Amino acid sequence: MITGIIIYGLVNSFILALVAMGFSFTFGISGVANFAYGALYVLSGYLIWIFLNWLKIPFVLASLLTILLSALFGYVTYYAVLLRVRGIVLSEVTATFALGVGLLEFFRWLGFVTYEFSLPSIKKGSISILGFPLDYQRLFVVIAGLGLFIFIYWFTHYTRIGLSLRGIAQNERTAISLGINANRLAAISVALGSAFAAVAAIFVLPLGIISINTGYEALLIAIAVGIVGGLESLSGIILASLILGFVQVLVGFYLSPDWIMVIYLLAIILILVFMPSGLLGKFKELEERV
Amino acid sequence: MKIFKVYAILSFILLLVSGASYGQLKEGEPIVFGVPTALGSIEGRDSWMSVQMAVEEINKKGGIRIGTRRHEIRAYAIDTREHEPGIPLHDALIAQEKLILERKPHAIVVGNFRSEVLLSTMDLIAKHRIPYICSIAMTPLMQKKVTEDYEKYKYTFRNALNAPYLSMYLSKLMEFIGKEFGFTKAYIVVQDTLWATATGSGLEKWFKENKWEVVGFDKYPLGASDFSSTLMKVRATKADVIVPIFDMPQSGILLKQARAMKIEALPVGFISPIAPENAWDVFEGEVEGFVNLVFEVGPLPVKAVPKSIEYNRNFGLRWGEAARKSLSGHGPGPSYDAVYIMADAIQRAQSVDPDAVVKALEATDMHGVVGRIRFAKDHQVVYGLDPKESAIGAAFQWRKGKRVVVFPDVVAEGKIELPPYVKPKK
Repeated sequence: MITGIIIYGLVNSFILALVAMGFSFTFGISGVANFAYGALYVLSGYLIWIFLNWLKIPFVLASLLTILLSALFGYVTYYAVLLRVRGIVLSEVTATFALGVGLLEFFRWLGFVTYEFSLPSIKKGSISILGFPLDYQRLFVVIAGLGLFIFIYWFTHYTRIGLSLRGIAQNERTAISLGINANRLAAISVALGSAFAAVAAIFVLPLGIISINTGYEALLIAIAVGIVGGLESLSGIILASLILGFVQVLVGFYLSPDWIMVIYLLAIILILVFMPSGLLGKFKELEERV
Repeated sequence: MKIFKVYAILSFILLLVSGASYGQLKEGEPIVFGVPTALGSIEGRDSWMSVQMAVEEINKKGGIRIGTRRHEIRAYAIDTREHEPGIPLHDALIAQEKLILERKPHAIVVGNFRSEVLLSTMDLIAKHRIPYICSIAMTPLMQKKVTEDYEKYKYTFRNALNAPYLSMYLSKLMEFIGKEFGFTKAYIVVQDTLWATATGSGLEKWFKENKWEVVGFDKYPLGASDFSSTLMKVRATKADVIVPIFDMPQSGILLKQARAMKIEALPVGFISPIAPENAWDVFEGEVEGFVNLVFEVGPLPVKAVPKSIEYNRNFGLRWGEAARKSLSGHGPGPSYDAVYIMADAIQRAQSVDPDAVVKALEATDMHGVVGRIRFAKDHQVVYGLDPKESAIGAAFQWRKGKRVVVFPDVVAEGKIELPPYVKPKK
C-alpha cells in the first residue's frame, strides 16, 4: 500500500503544481495577482469541450486552439482591466476576482453544469508501476508537469522575452530605464499564465469533470501552493506541491477524504503566520529588510 | 326580536358564503403550481421538464374541473441552486419565498433538492399553508416532523423514494448478490449530505446484521472529484463490493477512476450521473458492470409498469431524444406524477383550500409512472417490490452499452452478471 501512496502522492503533487503554475508565473514575473485564474482554467475546459463535441475538431488542434484563445483572453484582460488598476494590489485582486466570478457564473447561467461536460482521456488504459496500476492520463499529467517546468526554466533563462520578464521581476524601474516595455511584458506574463492554465485544464480535467466548482477549487489550489512555496519561486512551487500533494493523499487515506480541502486552508494560515514569504520565497523578507 | 333573527340568519349565510368561497376560484382563474427546485441539477432540470409535460397534458384535456368550471394549471419554476456546493440554505429559502409571494401558488410540486433545505422549507410551507409534494429530497426526518407535529406540517408530502427505502432496496440487492456470488466484504462511499449518509448508515447496519464485513465507510464533500484515496483502500482491504451513494455531477468519474486503478470489487449502489441512457458514451464505456439503482422507474422504462414506458416515450417526443437519453434516475418520474396527484386531489376536494386538498391527498390511491401511489400516515408514498401494490424503484446493470433491468424480480428483464474484472467467490 505504501507504493500506492507514493505513486498517487507524487501524481497528486504534479496535479497541484500544474494547476498552480500559471498563477505563480504571472505573479512572480509581473506582480499581477490574477484572481480570474480559476475561471480561465474552467473556461479552457469548456472551450476544448466545445471544440471536441460541437465543432468536432481533432483533439490536438482543439488543444492548441484552446491554449491560444486562453492566452489571448489573458492578454486582452490585461489591457482591458488590469492596466487601469496596475500597482494597486487590492484593486487588481478585486477586479480579476470579479471578472472570474462573472465568467464562471456566466457558464452556470448557460447551463454548463451537468456531468455531460467531461473530457475524454488522451489514452485509455493503465500501466503497472511496482505492481500498482497507474492510468495513462495521470502519467500524462506528470509528463506535462515536467514539460512545463522545463519550458518555463528555458523560457525565462534563454529567451529574450523571458530574460526581460526576469528583469522586470527583479526591478521594474531599472528595467524600464533600460528600454523594456513593462506593460507589454506584464501583458505577456498574464497571457502566458492563462496559457498555462489551459495546459493544466487539458491534462487534469479528464480526471474529473468540468464544473463551475472546479474554477473556485483551482484558484484555491493556486493560492495555497503559491503561498506555501513562495509566489515568485519556481522551486518553491514544486516543494509546496509535493508537501500538499502527499499530505492530501495521507489524510484521505488515514483520516477521511472529507478533510482534504481543509489542508489548503490550514497550510495558507500556518505559512502566513510563521513564514509569510513562503517556504522558498523572498518577497516579504526583502520588504522587511528594506 | 324579529330584526335580530334576520341579522342572525344573514350573518350566518354571510359566514357560510365567505367560508365556502375560501379556496374557491373565479371563472377562468388558473390553478397555480409552484416549482422551486435546483434547476441546474439534472434531477431538477428533468423534473421541471416533466412537470411542464404533465401540465400540458392535463390542460389539453380541459384542466382541473371544480364544480361546473374548468381551470387550467399554470406552473412557475424558480432556481434554488441548492445542489451547488457553498450555496447557503438561506438563499434557497429566499428563492422559495419569492416564488410564493410573487406567484401565489395554490400548490407546490417537485420542491427541494437537498434534505437540509427541505427541513427548513417545511416551516415556510406551514407558514403559508400550501400543499407541497416533494419529489427529490430524501431525508426521513421530513416524515418525523409530520408525525410529531401533524397540524403544523401536514401540508408536506413526498412521492419520491426516501433514504430508508433506498437502504431497503440496496440491502435486498446485497442479499441477492451475497447469495449468488458469495460476497461478504463491502466498502461504502457516500457524499457528505443528510440523505446519502443516512442511506449509507442504514446499509452499514444491515451489512453488520447480516454477517457482512464493512471494510470502509468514506464520506466526500460536495464537489469532490478525486476518489483515489478510497479506491486505494478498496484495493488494500480486498472488498468484494463497493457501494457508492452520490448524486453530485462529479461522482460519475468514480467508476472511470476505479477502472483505471483496476479495482476488482463489484460496484453496486447509486451514482446519479451513471443512471441516464447517455452515461455509457459520456464515461467512455467505463461503467460496464455497474449495478445502479434508479430510485423511481420512469426514466428507466420497465415493462411491468406500462405508464413508465409511455412516459419515457412521450418525454422523448416532447423534449427530443437527446433530452430523453439524459433523463436522470431520481426525480423526473415522481415530479410528473406529482402534478397528476395534486390535480386529482384538487378535483376530489373540489377546492384549492389547503386543508381540503391535504385531506384529499391523504386519500390518494392511483397508478402513475412509478407504480401504485398511496401516502402513508407520515405523508411518504409507500415503496415496495411490486408495482401493483406500491411505488417502485429498480436496479439495472450496464452491459455493453445497454441498461438491463435486474431488480426487483417482478420487473427484472435479466440477471446480474459479474463483469470480467470481478471474480466470484463461489
